[in-house]
Amino acid sequence: MRAYQDMVFSTAARLAGNDTQAEDIAQEVFIRAYEHFSDLRTSVTAGGWLKTVTTNLSLNYLNRYRKRWRFFSEMRPAEDSESEAPEMDWEIPDTILAELSAEQRCAIVDEALRQLPDHQRLPLVLYHFEDLSYQEIAIKLNVSLPKIKTDIRRARAALLPLLQDGGAARDTLDG
Amino acid sequence: MSKHIDSEQKLERALSEALKGLPLRRAPSTLEARVAGELERRAALPWWRVSFAHWPAAPRVAFVIVCIALVAATFLGGVFAFVGDRSFNEAAALVLSWVQPFLAVMASAGGVAALLVRVIPPLWLYGGLGLGIMLYLALFGLGAAAYRLYLRPSSAGDVL
Repeated sequence: MRAYQDMVFSTAARLAGNDTQAEDIAQEVFIRAYEHFSDLRTSVTAGGWLKTVTTNLSLNYLNRYRKRWRFFSEMRPAEDSESEAPEMDWEIPDTILAELSAEQRCAIVDEALRQLPDHQRLPLVLYHFEDLSYQEIAIKLNVSLPKIKTDIRRARAALLPLLQDGGAARDTLDG
Repeated sequence: MSKHIDSEQKLERALSEALKGLPLRRAPSTLEARVAGELERRAALPWWRVSFAHWPAAPRVAFVIVCIALVAATFLGGVFAFVGDRSFNEAAALVLSWVQPFLAVMASAGGVAALLVRVIPPLWLYGGLGLGIMLYLALFGLGAAAYRLYLRPSSAGDVL
């Protein structure tokens, strides 16, 4: 368990955007692992199994309370369509937070992810951290492919100023 | 448009670079103790407090037999209550005496519907059908609009 607990907790925390929920999810993951201990003990794919179970449990956890509203909440007006993707009229930097250490970047990224709404954070994390394709994310979240692309673009556009603000605040503190 | 796409690709590259290779977050030190505690708690539960899939074989078989017996008793009880001390033929006749009027009513309703379809012009029928669909969609749209206005939580990311 010690070998995998950071990976399980990190995955759950980035998907859920909430440490308390992530700890609940991680607990449930390890209880399921215990139930399958005889299969996992000698398996070389135990890490992959834990990652998949963590991702699925996190999505189930988040879905539990929004399922009944999902249909209406995804009836977006034309502003969400492919052609109406957010305009980014500001300068995009070549690098983001590159001058900071990995630990500092980690703290700023996790704080910024927490501020994104679920429908943007989930596809963004699945794309950038779990390396899933747009198509795989659409299937996993049971959402249309154009909506996934739009949500990820919106998430990136929302994340950039949060990361820059976090980086600037860190520079001020360090300076 | 091309500049917009370039900006998006540049942002995707920059973010991928920033998010790549981030260290894992350290799990809370309490996690291991929590898992151990929960496993102990679940192990201490009596078998009837855990899910059916984890019950011992004998109680599972017994439970299934009891359920089947209850369903059978309910069904047979209903049948006996209806039949009472009548003979089989009397009971069958009683059932038919209920079924026949019901079938007659259904046949009459079908006849009336067929007559209406013949008498009413097709345009009216299609118009009525279209009106029904429009009213349904309007109600559906009102429900969605009410949800968006009053119930859906807003978030900072939505306005970007």
